Amino acid sequence: MAEPALKSDIKDFEDKGQWWWAAEKKRSKRLDYLRKAVWRKGSTGGAPISPIKLDLEPAFRWIEFYKQFKCEPQPLRTAKIMAAMWETDPIYIVDKSQIVGSKTPTPSTEGWEGAGGMANAAVYNYPEILPEPMEEALRKVHEVGQFWDAEGDGMSRLISMADPEDIAKFQSGAIAWGSLIGGYSGKNYEYFMTGKRAFEDIIEEIDQYIAEAEEKTQGVSNPDMLPLYQKIINWEAMKISLEAGIKLAGRYARLARIIAENFETDPGRREELLRVSETCRRVPARPPRNLQESLQYDHFIQVMARKEQPEGAWPARPDYYHGPYYDRDVNIEKNITKEEALDLIGEFLIRAYDMPVVLAMGKWVREGLQGIAGTWVWTLGGVDQHGDDACNDMTIALMQAARLVRTPNPTFAFRWHPKVKDNVMREIFECIRHGLGYPAMRNDPILIANAMHWHRHPIEEARTWVHQACMSPCPTTKHGTQPMRMASATANCAKIIEYTLWNGYDHVVNMQMGPRTGDARNFTDFEQVFAAWVKQMEWLFSLLTRTVNFARYVQSDVAPRPFLSGISQRAVDAGIDVMRPDGERGNAWITAFTWVENPDSLTAIKKLIFDDAKYTMNQLMDALETNWDGYEEMRLDFVNQAPKWGNDDDDADNMMLRCLKECARFSRELKDPSGNSWPILPENVSGNIHYSSIVRALPNGRRQGDALYDGGISPGPGLDKKGPTAVLKSCGKIDHITDGRAFLLNQRLSPTQLQGEKGYQLWRAYMKTWADLGIDHVQFNMVSDETLRAAQKDPEKYSEVIVRVAGYSAHFVDISRKTQDNIIQRTVQGIGS
Amino acid sequence: MPICEECKSFFPIEEEPGKGDCVQKCVDARQTYFTARVVSADHDASRCDTFQKS
Repeated sequence: MAEPALKSDIKDFEDKGQWWWAAEKKRSKRLDYLRKAVWRKGSTGGAPISPIKLDLEPAFRWIEFYKQFKCEPQPLRTAKIMAAMWETDPIYIVDKSQIVGSKTPTPSTEGWEGAGGMANAAVYNYPEILPEPMEEALRKVHEVGQFWDAEGDGMSRLISMADPEDIAKFQSGAIAWGSLIGGYSGKNYEYFMTGKRAFEDIIEEIDQYIAEAEEKTQGVSNPDMLPLYQKIINWEAMKISLEAGIKLAGRYARLARIIAENFETDPGRREELLRVSETCRRVPARPPRNLQESLQYDHFIQVMARKEQPEGAWPARPDYYHGPYYDRDVNIEKNITKEEALDLIGEFLIRAYDMPVVLAMGKWVREGLQGIAGTWVWTLGGVDQHGDDACNDMTIALMQAARLVRTPNPTFAFRWHPKVKDNVMREIFECIRHGLGYPAMRNDPILIANAMHWHRHPIEEARTWVHQACMSPCPTTKHGTQPMRMASATANCAKIIEYTLWNGYDHVVNMQMGPRTGDARNFTDFEQVFAAWVKQMEWLFSLLTRTVNFARYVQSDVAPRPFLSGISQRAVDAGIDVMRPDGERGNAWITAFTWVENPDSLTAIKKLIFDDAKYTMNQLMDALETNWDGYEEMRLDFVNQAPKWGNDDDDADNMMLRCLKECARFSRELKDPSGNSWPILPENVSGNIHYSSIVRALPNGRRQGDALYDGGISPGPGLDKKGPTAVLKSCGKIDHITDGRAFLLNQRLSPTQLQGEKGYQLWRAYMKTWADLGIDHVQFNMVSDETLRAAQKDPEKYSEVIVRVAGYSAHFVDISRKTQDNIIQRTVQGIGS
Repeated sequence: MPICEECKSFFPIEEEPGKGDCVQKCVDARQTYFTARVVSADHDASRCDTFQKS
């Protein structure tokens, strides 16, 4: 991005709300260089990705190693292939950087490994991501494709075992979002991130387990020894993976030293490179000793886990785990200054921003996660395991660094609790006021109780929670960590009301999807409508949770995770692949996209057809059949005359509660592989845009093609007419502990109104009401319409404007026009007025 | 036939005799960076664009 033409100083930029220019002036030269060095890894709207290209070479190396280790048992084969790849992958170190490690062969390419249906489909469909010359690239892609067609990869093996009808409905694209392998990862930070152990310590533990098991298998024959043979294989695979991780870090250590000794002429940079080298020799082999080592250790683990398999989430609690090192380095021993620490922390954010998931990803991912690679929602604040305030100086430093580097990804979500100090709240408000769209605010006491309610986590473990994906709290403990929730339990919930009205038939994909619950024209009272709705809801949630349960059950056989297992205490202690659910409490949730259309549509049907008898079911079905075309007056009645969620109107709100309680009841019947429940979690990312053309016209007055509601419990754009307190009161009627897993609430605030100290105090008062009502989540956009419309007209000039989409933030210019308009349409709430 | 070991960009790996890092300084539109990839010391470098006799 070019320097702005304006010659104003930082204050001028800030006064104008041009926080991005101010940040450029305020951050160090190093951070400025590194921030601008990143080749964006997210998509632009629904279009294929950024300028980065695929590197096809890894696919051929992968095949070579696959053939070499083909006869090994599955976990060992995976570990050995991975170790061989990590030994031979190209690596790089960016000038000025102090934290190293990347998933990609170069800053502007991504390695393609060839195995994986989703990635392969995208490679064929979007050849613009292939390297030149195109003809040769297509020939290589074909060659790799033919190999895996014959061999079968993990995904194809998994699909071949699943129920064909479930898979056909899932793959239709109408009801679900996600993939059967991969999705939202979890990390057992309490095992590897507390400073007590690192890879060499874990390898020692594994060696001990192997020695004990081998001794037992040499004893008198008995059935107890039989499982040990498989366990030994699993432990060996974990050990190979961890050793490969140490070796990979060693390669970075070597490169940093080579640059320092042979290329670098600046003595200061040479010293930095030697420190980088020493850091990579230390971690992840042994526990970190200082902030740089701690950040590097964490980053290496994230890189390695993602090199093992794509991970669409990034659960993390950086202030909690890195805070003690910050405190020692900056406050106690004064080894580094605050500014030097900010440089490290800012780069730590940039390195995460630079992380891709899968470049060759499908349309549904690009449209559903416009502008970003994955949902990197990092957790700040909260309480420690004793219930005391866990905020520290690192909490503040992370927020200050975020305002300097302004990465849209990762974003933060803050665990608010009554003991949070005012100086921390001011930092949060500054981030929101600077238009970052984060931190999202989470109600810690409510969500700890929620985790105990749904998944029976003990309170000390529940208190360790981090965000698994955008919203779902997951402990970081041995039995509490869920290593993966496949993204496929993501429901396009607007289909529930649609199928209720169309007898389970989907007229968009022309398939009988849900159960036949009756011709809606024949419904004679509202209870018949609602009963059909319940059946469709139960069918949809059953199908999606079946696919995830199944995938969790068989993934260890078709696509094991020896590296992730090696950093998970439950897997290490038991000698199992971490994807097996044994000993896990689970943390399952159904992501409920496009949820609020259901209660608002049901309310409209009840009010206008059965209570007021203004229209008949026949008339409604006629109107919906034509996408409301020719029924505009009637449509406006369904928009304006039926009460809507978010206005503190009991008729509308009680319908929301009734729907949620039905789901909660059924959630308790649905069981995850650990035997715990499948509560729903209404939220949207940008699924409300992706599904806009897939969902037919609805009784809330929405036409097919119109954007769906943006949040999980946010009112429809412009439909919240009674102000912010009414929105909060409606949301406060939900029991945020027992009605579901979490509930996403988007709100827009006025940057003009919230200027200065008065603005902060207004926001604090708003947050007090939010907390008093027991609402679990709220996140804010605080960028003016004027700025957003200017950015639409002149995207180059406003390329760094960030907005909160839903569950994540993105550069405004990287989301589609439809999503941009949807954000602008959200009501700007005047608070306290 | 030139081999990798004879190149300025070749840096032997102590722990793995016969192997080395091919280290290159690269510049793209956004940054300068250094890459390393492991090569065999006796690998044929006759087709290598960046070969420079040490």
